[in-house]
Amino acid sequence: MSQQNPLNYAKAIQYQLAAIATPVPVYANFNRNFASQPKFITWQLRNVHQPVYTGQNQNNKGIDKPIFQINVFAQDMNDAFNISNSILQSLHGYNGLFGGSSGFQISKADVDWLYNTYDNTINLHHIIMDCTLYIPT
Amino acid sequence: MALPNQVLPGFSASLWCQTGTTPTPLTTTQLSTWTGEVASIVGAVANGTGSAGEQLNVEAIPKFGQDDASANFYVAGSRQSDVIPTQSKPTSLTIVAAWNPSDAGLLLIRGDAYSGIIDRTFVIAAVDGTNTVAYAFNGRVSEFTIDTAPNAEAKCTFTIHPRGNQYGWSNNT
Repeated sequence: MSQQNPLNYAKAIQYQLAAIATPVPVYANFNRNFASQPKFITWQLRNVHQPVYTGQNQNNKGIDKPIFQINVFAQDMNDAFNISNSILQSLHGYNGLFGGSSGFQISKADVDWLYNTYDNTINLHHIIMDCTLYIPT
Repeated sequence: MALPNQVLPGFSASLWCQTGTTPTPLTTTQLSTWTGEVASIVGAVANGTGSAGEQLNVEAIPKFGQDDASANFYVAGSRQSDVIPTQSKPTSLTIVAAWNPSDAGLLLIRGDAYSGIIDRTFVIAAVDGTNTVAYAFNGRVSEFTIDTAPNAEAKCTFTIHPRGNQYGWSNNT
């Protein structure tokens, strides 16, 4: 099936994370200007990939399984864990409309809570999660 | 005859079949005739679509050809015995495809499997640029299953059993 536009993935991820974490701000990638904020979320999209099967038909592909990494930053460790838990509870195993009314249907979201750490240079607790989307095409 | 003249990548191979729920399979002569026969299934140009066929969107083309069978004879007075090839069957092709419930080709395969007695001409085409080499054979389909493992797209698996002695090689002219 045809490849979808990753820009639409990005828009949907931004919308969905903002809807889950509100009023905590959500940004694509890290911006050091935001480090003065007590808590915020950034994300990065990667691994947009449909398996390609044999033959010359460009549409002979499987479903898309992009991954986006979620970075939760907070000055207070409790905040970092609570925000991460909100995302985990909302997204893990979710299927349905992703990204609001202008988004798209996903078959499943699979969240992998990777690890928490502390960034000494910006004095923020940091929790990293991966979320895999299964997008039928 | 424009036969590809280089080592081909495995993924250049594609699987085609006749359309129609009750097709008329090609004769043995037609199976090795490109113009008007095999070309009408795979298309006259590389990666085209023939008027009487369509591509099956499968994951990979399995090994095809002939199974092995032999008889071992002991020859009196000789140090070595002798292995003689005997009658053997064509290799069955077990094929996996991503399962799209609306895919016309996979619906044909599903129907064939439920029937079990429909002879259909299949073509494995490998291309190099604009050149095609085709292996055409008649076969029946069996063992159509759908695997819905949750970590990827649903897959359907089916087996094509080629009919004996009904095959042919051809290439675009």
